[in-house]
Amino acid sequence: MTTAPQLDIPPRPRTWPRRALIAGAVLVVTVLTTTPALGGVEIDLDSIARNWGNGASRIAMLFQPDWSILPRTWEPMLETLEMALIGTAVSAALAIPLSLWAARPTNPGNPLRMAVRFVLNVVRAVPDLVYATILVAMVGVGALPGIITLVLFDLGIVVKLVSEAIDSSDSSYMEAGRAAGGTQTQINRVTALPQAWPAFASQVLYSLELNVRVSAILGLVGAGGIGRLIDEVRGFYRYDALSTIILLLLVVVILIEVASNYLRKRLR
Amino acid sequence: MRQHTTQPEAEGATPSASVPWPIALDQVTVRYPNGVVALKDVSLRVEPGEMISVVGLSGSGKSTMIRTINGLVPATSGTVTVGPHTVTGLSGRQLRQLRGHVGMIFQHFNLADRASVYQNVLVGRFSHTPTWRTLLGSARPADRDIAMRALDSVGMLEKVWQRGGALSGGQKQRVAIARALSQEPAVMLADEPVASLDPPTAHSVMADLQRINQERGLTVLVNLHLMDLARQYTTRMIGLREGRLVYDGPAADATDADFEEIYGRPIQVKDRLDR
Ligand SMILES: Nc1ncnc2c1ncn2[C@@H]1O[C@H](COP(=O)(O)OP(=O)(O)OP(=O)(O)O)[C@@H](O)[C@H]1O
Ligand SMILES: [Mg+2]
Repeated sequence: MTTAPQLDIPPRPRTWPRRALIAGAVLVVTVLTTTPALGGVEIDLDSIARNWGNGASRIAMLFQPDWSILPRTWEPMLETLEMALIGTAVSAALAIPLSLWAARPTNPGNPLRMAVRFVLNVVRAVPDLVYATILVAMVGVGALPGIITLVLFDLGIVVKLVSEAIDSSDSSYMEAGRAAGGTQTQINRVTALPQAWPAFASQVLYSLELNVRVSAILGLVGAGGIGRLIDEVRGFYRYDALSTIILLLLVVVILIEVASNYLRKRLR
Repeated sequence: MRQHTTQPEAEGATPSASVPWPIALDQVTVRYPNGVVALKDVSLRVEPGEMISVVGLSGSGKSTMIRTINGLVPATSGTVTVGPHTVTGLSGRQLRQLRGHVGMIFQHFNLADRASVYQNVLVGRFSHTPTWRTLLGSARPADRDIAMRALDSVGMLEKVWQRGGALSGGQKQRVAIARALSQEPAVMLADEPVASLDPPTAHSVMADLQRINQERGLTVLVNLHLMDLARQYTTRMIGLREGRLVYDGPAADATDADFEEIYGRPIQVKDRLDR
């Protein structure tokens, strides 16, 4: 038997100092965030046990759905779906140019790209309920403030994810467009747009899914949809009726997810 | 310049080629922002209608040189002239207009693979189309016609509605040639057009370029790193070594010794396509 010649394997880089550092950091952050004396949040496990009785009866009611509420849910549910759909459509239309302006390959000019990114970061930083509350005060109770909230919420997500997809995708075709004497707008319209299309459609479908859930909440502050009904029955402690609404919402959300998953697969 | 794009076409003929343009580099030096000097004091004149190869090792500056001709890489010093245009110092609309007359094909084809073949070829009409019209997404019938004829001339018309990504390497390069042809260019630049292709496909793509040169009379400048392709398909050969022009002569006469001089090392098997 011949012995294989000795391999000259380069020494493996040491990883333990890095791992120790990460483990240490996780530990420190955990301690800091859960110790009230150090400014962490107060986690009172006792109170869960103490108040268990209160919650238990409500949970019991949740398990006995009151179907008599069902006829009253159609209209607000339809409104929720309409809000979600309109919000998605409007944000999708706005997201097309914004995504192209927010990505480096499709917008090499720095100032405009930075400006778009900055504005979108701000838009994303504000919670959706804050938009809804302010908009209800501005334009009144109803579906409109809800729709505007959804548009802002969707723009934040879609533009960020699509522009990042454009940033990380191969854009060698840009050079061909430039070599042919095209303007950036022409290159974006004819080549970058079809390239970004699957990422775009996929994110828009995702935002539609999110919108149904978010718009259910928005009604709590008067921004229309099924949330208004949720708020009402909760006010009367009708947890059995609430249960029906939640089940309905669940069915709708699952249906939309199934549909959008199917569509998303067809996109590839 | 407008006459180039609006020439009436002969019945059934391929799109009328423009008058070929000469190319001249005068003491051109290119220094990249990172300090690499990729082209050193290169002077060269290419006559209208010539088919000329640029050979050299990897890193010798072939891509850099070809890109100074359409201004994708600006010359740090010296002047580049193409036909009536002085490339050096051009920017904005004027630069785009010049590029409209200079077709270019690439080693990696540079197609948008999710866009259709048709859309990819329309890229060649950019410089002849106002931006607002491109935005609306409706090509003029004349542009559509030019694109279709360009595809037909490279035998790719039947693939016109397929996605760019669904094609083989050789088919992609033919679509890229059609894209460049639809510019109705006066000059055709090719940066290692066959380096990503298998030998038979490489030969047929080189033959396409040769046919373009002979039938349309275009000035063709093609970067190659394989000596036999340079000898077989081009009439004149330029050698680059470390950014300097070290050879200029008829391609067919270039001896192995000439290549060793250009490469700065003995000939190896990988320097030929057909072994
Ligand atoms: N964008 C760039 N920035 C900095 N340096 C560059 C850039 N492009 C090329 N270079 C350098 O310039 C030199 C010439 O490169 P160039 O791409 O022109 O060579 P080439 O002959 O085309 O090589 P290859 O056969 O590998 O394509 C190389 O040293 C390369 O590293
Ligand atoms: Mg190169």
